[in-house]
Amino acid sequence: MALSFPYRKCRADKDGAAHVAVRKIYIFPTRYGLLYGLLVFLILLISVNYANNPGFLLTFLLAGLGIVAMLHTWRNLVNLRLLTGRAAAVFAGQPATYEIRVRNSRESERPNIRLRLPAHDDVEMDLPAATTQSLTLHIGITRRGRQPLPQFKLSTHYPLGLLRAWCYVELEMHAVVYPAPGAAMPLTGDADHHSLDYKERSGGGSGADDFIGLRQYREGDALQQINWKTYAREQGLHINLFTVSSARSYWLEWDSLPGMKTEERLSTLCRGILDAGELQHEYGLRLPGVEIKPASGESHRHQCLTALALFGKE
Amino acid sequence: MMISAEEHRLTNQESIILIAVICMAVVPHFTHTNIWITLFFIATLGYRMAAILLPQLLPGKLLLFLITIAAVGVVVVNHAQLVDWRVAVDLLIVMLGLKLLELRKRRDLYIMLFLGYFTIASNFLFNQGVLLAAYLFVVVVGLTAILLETSRSRSLQRPLKTVGLSLSLLLQAVPIMVALFLFFPRLSAPLWSLGIDQQRGTTGLSDTVSPGSISELIRSRAVAFRVDFEGAVPAPELRYWRGPVMWESDGTSWTRGEPLLQRQMKYTAQGEPLDYSVTLEPSGSRWLLALDLPDATPPHAVMQPDFQLIADKPVTQRLRYQMRSHLHYNTGDLPASERRRALQLPANITSRMRELAQRWENEAQIQNHGRNENHAAVVTGALRFFRQQPFYYTLYPPLLFDNPVDEFLFESRRGFCEHYASSFVTMMRVAGIPARLVTGYQGGEINPLGGHLVVRQSDAHAWAEVWISGAGWQRVDPTAAVAPERVERPFDIDFDDAGIVGSPIQFTLAQSGFLKRLARQFRLGRDAVNASWHRWVLGYSKQKQGRIMDQLGLGFAKGAAIAIVASMLVLIFVIAALLWYRGRERVDPVQADYLRFCSRMARMGVVRLPYEGADSYAQRITEQRPDLKTAVDEIIRLYSSLRYGEANDAHGKSELHRLVRAFHA
Repeated sequence: MALSFPYRKCRADKDGAAHVAVRKIYIFPTRYGLLYGLLVFLILLISVNYANNPGFLLTFLLAGLGIVAMLHTWRNLVNLRLLTGRAAAVFAGQPATYEIRVRNSRESERPNIRLRLPAHDDVEMDLPAATTQSLTLHIGITRRGRQPLPQFKLSTHYPLGLLRAWCYVELEMHAVVYPAPGAAMPLTGDADHHSLDYKERSGGGSGADDFIGLRQYREGDALQQINWKTYAREQGLHINLFTVSSARSYWLEWDSLPGMKTEERLSTLCRGILDAGELQHEYGLRLPGVEIKPASGESHRHQCLTALALFGKE
Repeated sequence: MMISAEEHRLTNQESIILIAVICMAVVPHFTHTNIWITLFFIATLGYRMAAILLPQLLPGKLLLFLITIAAVGVVVVNHAQLVDWRVAVDLLIVMLGLKLLELRKRRDLYIMLFLGYFTIASNFLFNQGVLLAAYLFVVVVGLTAILLETSRSRSLQRPLKTVGLSLSLLLQAVPIMVALFLFFPRLSAPLWSLGIDQQRGTTGLSDTVSPGSISELIRSRAVAFRVDFEGAVPAPELRYWRGPVMWESDGTSWTRGEPLLQRQMKYTAQGEPLDYSVTLEPSGSRWLLALDLPDATPPHAVMQPDFQLIADKPVTQRLRYQMRSHLHYNTGDLPASERRRALQLPANITSRMRELAQRWENEAQIQNHGRNENHAAVVTGALRFFRQQPFYYTLYPPLLFDNPVDEFLFESRRGFCEHYASSFVTMMRVAGIPARLVTGYQGGEINPLGGHLVVRQSDAHAWAEVWISGAGWQRVDPTAAVAPERVERPFDIDFDDAGIVGSPIQFTLAQSGFLKRLARQFRLGRDAVNASWHRWVLGYSKQKQGRIMDQLGLGFAKGAAIAIVASMLVLIFVIAALLWYRGRERVDPVQADYLRFCSRMARMGVVRLPYEGADSYAQRITEQRPDLKTAVDEIIRLYSSLRYGEANDAHGKSELHRLVRAFHA
């Protein structure tokens, strides 16, 4: 079993909010706080040596200020609530962002609220009285799948910058990381495993539509679309394929990409989804064990990409 | 990539405020630091301000290094032989100046602020007055406000609010300060010595008296000492505070001469003793003041045969001691050695001085019908001479040269108390009467607010003592013969009005105009604050602490530790509790009632979903439980109007409360 430091953590409760409880806060001087301690000690030495009573007063006032600051630093965190916000989906390799909503239900401001992920910089804000505001945490490097928000630190330096109070927070939060988009999908292939199954054009072969490729003739294909040139070269019967601005419907299939490794396939499919989405086509996705019917739109795209992201992960 | 907060450059506004507050901390030092140090600081300040407008002026590393060398050079040159505390303070000021030039980033700001706190502390080594303390407290508030502002993520841009917060934080620290001040164990000996003990330029009595030495002193309004009487305060004409006694004259100035042979000090007291305590300001000399004649010796002091109290060490810190005096006394016999010294005469006794003394003796003999005990009558005759001849009492006497006594008695006839006293003593000795010159203070002002007596340097005085057979040493104040007001009223001269040489002094009358009375009230009020400051802050010593510890039944070191820990715990708990109380979350009663309703519904099986608003929840309830429709609708409607509507009436709130309480399945 891994050795874990037995520190206290603020965990999310059943509503998904992490409450900063009284006894979960740690406090320690910052390096300026240590310097301040040295300063107070120096003034104390001088006061003792010269039996200087106003010097003593100053020493003890500053010492008292330090102690009061300790209480205030602690108070600046206690009873905060942290809630999960949006975690935007990203492609592998892009930074993932997590929106953390910090709720101050006290009738006074809480300045300098900082959040920090391990090995990242602080993000900070001054939280006004009785409000909820968001901070966004970033994770630099991501891999395909569900990227959970690691444990992070909530801290503050307020009021004097001499002390830092912090607590460890764990929130149930994930960012979906899609595969990184790979190379473009090959357009031709076996009749049973074609990757792009374009809905054939209803009209003739002329017009503004672009010729994008050929596919083998199947029964029922319109004669107008047969590419006679390939037929004349005895390469078999093919029909012309054209893009059109109106929606076409086809399937993006796992099985149409043989000989690729899993990640490469997923990346390629990801590219296919992105391209199809850009061309405003209807597309469906078939993965082993997953089938998403052809559709279009933002949420459909997300559904497909999420299926890629989670493929083999759950 | 984010820049860490410490690397952030300071804005101009931040720089200016910081520089201003740092200057406030340094300015009191200008009264005692070397002029070159002051100029150096002002120069760096000016340069830094210019650099705010033209940032390219900020010096590079090499230039900064050269300036540093130059600055340290200035300090070293100005303290060539002297290595003491003042060097350290000068260096501190120079460092502050240099740091100003280097001020660019957040990190520098913290260093600067801490140097600022340190500068404030160093000020107390030179002046411990309550006014300076109050001023420096303001500077502490300023520095702390900058700390507050810096620790925020974004500037508040409301300086007054920040200053208020800073003041509030410091006031919360005050109870801790008081507890630590009371219980932190005090030492009686310093840890090391850097020569700060030799205070320079302290005004006070000296051990020689020459014409003009006291009139110089009385221009100072500085407090010499304060007295708390246990009983009634004696009348002004009885308040003679005994200081150094002068035995030997060289014709121009008086000194104490050889130390007297030690002998058992005894005198016959007549009347009740007077108990009081004296709080002496640091004088740098060893005299302890007491009312004529002292009947007690404070600790670490001895009483000389001429009733002077002398401390073992110069008084360099405020000293408080208990005293007992007798105002009426008989000192008895005079030993031969002392008689000889009390008749010592300088060489410059002129014939007209001898003639004058002879005349007084003759008059006394006629008065006493040839009896031999005519010393008292000679004294009376001499006082009559001062009163009847045209003598004037003035702060600005004409300059006297080789023989001040002769010139004063027969020519100028204008002088201050030391002229009268010293010439009187000389004349008594010429007439064969043992006499000596006593310096000290006379009178003092009662502060009605503090109930204590304040004696200032301006109350400095000199008088004479003559030894009369059968009565012992008797005090004679020739000044009183010339200017009785001097002795009866508080000595309060308007120095601005009395600048002409030889002009007689106008004594202030008690009732002289509203403004003067107001000024006097103000002065008395200030002195009452001063007296409390002296008594409770400056006078808090190892002894006083010991007494408090005894009263609490605690020992010294262990007791202090217990007291500090206990008081800290209590105070921290109290402050934490107050903060907790002020910061507790107040749940809106309307919301509380709604949540109670929700939890009751949940028990009935309709759980509110986290995202569900009140109306849609109500709709779902009525779908599932049509029987509750009336009650639920009523509650939800009232809740919505209270929470989201304009209605915020107390009646609605109590109605909602009642409805929810009454709500049952």
